[in-house]
Amino acid sequence: MLKKLYHQFASPKTYIILVNKMYPYILYFSVLFYAFALVWGLGFAPADYVQGNSFRIIYLHVPASFLSQSLYIVMAIAAGIFLIWKVKLAAYMIKSIAPVGALVTFIALISGSIWGIPTWGTWWQWDARITSTLILFIMYLGLISLHSSFTNFEKADKFISVLVLIGFVNIPIIKKSVDWWSTLHQPASITLTNKPSIDPTMLYPLIFSMIGFSGIIVSLIILSSKVHIFKRESHKSWVKRNV
Amino acid sequence: MKLIFVEFFKLKMKLRAWLGPILIFLLIIISFPLTVELSSEALNDVFYSILWIASLLTIMVSVESIFLEDYEDGYLEYFYVANNSLFSLIFTKILIYWILIGIPISCLGTFFSINMSDDISSLNIALPSLLISTYIFINLFALGNSLSLNKGSALGALITIPLLFPILILLGKIVLNANFGFEISNLLLLMLGVLLLIIVFIPFIISFIIKTHLE
Repeated sequence: MLKKLYHQFASPKTYIILVNKMYPYILYFSVLFYAFALVWGLGFAPADYVQGNSFRIIYLHVPASFLSQSLYIVMAIAAGIFLIWKVKLAAYMIKSIAPVGALVTFIALISGSIWGIPTWGTWWQWDARITSTLILFIMYLGLISLHSSFTNFEKADKFISVLVLIGFVNIPIIKKSVDWWSTLHQPASITLTNKPSIDPTMLYPLIFSMIGFSGIIVSLIILSSKVHIFKRESHKSWVKRNV
Repeated sequence: MKLIFVEFFKLKMKLRAWLGPILIFLLIIISFPLTVELSSEALNDVFYSILWIASLLTIMVSVESIFLEDYEDGYLEYFYVANNSLFSLIFTKILIYWILIGIPISCLGTFFSINMSDDISSLNIALPSLLISTYIFINLFALGNSLSLNKGSALGALITIPLLFPILILLGKIVLNANFGFEISNLLLLMLGVLLLIIVFIPFIISFIIKTHLE
């Protein structure tokens, strides 16, 4: 039963059908969530004691930088699944997550440097976290350019998954860079194990904004994966019937 | 054993492939001081980072066509069909590159670092870390270039350099610790451990990639 379910979900056709059903819900709910969080965070949360109103960019910066790392982890898991069990859908997901990951990392970098002006007094500093995030951005671009330089997609899938898995060595460094080096960037305020070091009046809208932003990004990934799957499976009869 | 000799002479016959990179390394090392004030103290502070970056760039240039010729004339395919494994060939190739390019570069770099920092103890820093790091660089650039085989070396460099950042961080830590007079052998041993892992695993990964290319 479970195995059947697993095989069914791993087929692109079932994935497309499922995703077509879920896509509007995910999109509308996450837009609603994010709008709600923004109104709460920008309008009702109190101004910061030190940073004043400039801290409010946190509702874009933190979700984006959180996703920039987690999307890479998702890609690494998908790469493992593809290389071990040869699940084609996993390879399609890597290809469709990579551009979105690059976009999210770019948002994190830009919003971070905009935030840096009023608080640190500088756009850019060769700080461990900032530099490693830039490296992550370049890694995403490298993955995209590697995949797009091959016309044989089966080969490109294997290469991109190998590269994703090897590039995973950088993720712990990016994650831990704020703890290992004494840098300008502060350590994470929200962790799973410790009590958050941020006041609840600012924390709750932040959590809402993280959920909402992740939902928006997931719906973006769904869109890009649909495009990619239709392109790759264009010779299959179910695609011809549906498109 | 025979394989080692064959690969050794194959690389040694191509003068530009091994002497060229060594001269490039020399040129980079010479041209850095020209861009700073020649006799300034600043050069001593940054000399080691010049050394690391110069070795990285040299390895990048030298390894860019490590598999290309063998791929194009069909030797890789022949070897795979004959031996049913590419591990030994790739391992030997990387080893020969290290012997013919990595070791001379390390010796040259050490020689210059003695002159630059007026300190004989730099021998203990520069030589082992250059020897280890060039081997790691060759392995990783070989990986990147096997991914981008016959797609141009720019792609290979683009995807490899981000993978080298942990090593560069380690090298920076070594210099920092040495400047403060701390122990550096623990960091060197850590790098040696990374190297041992890489020596074993990278040829496997490369042979998987090349098999995919040959399909």
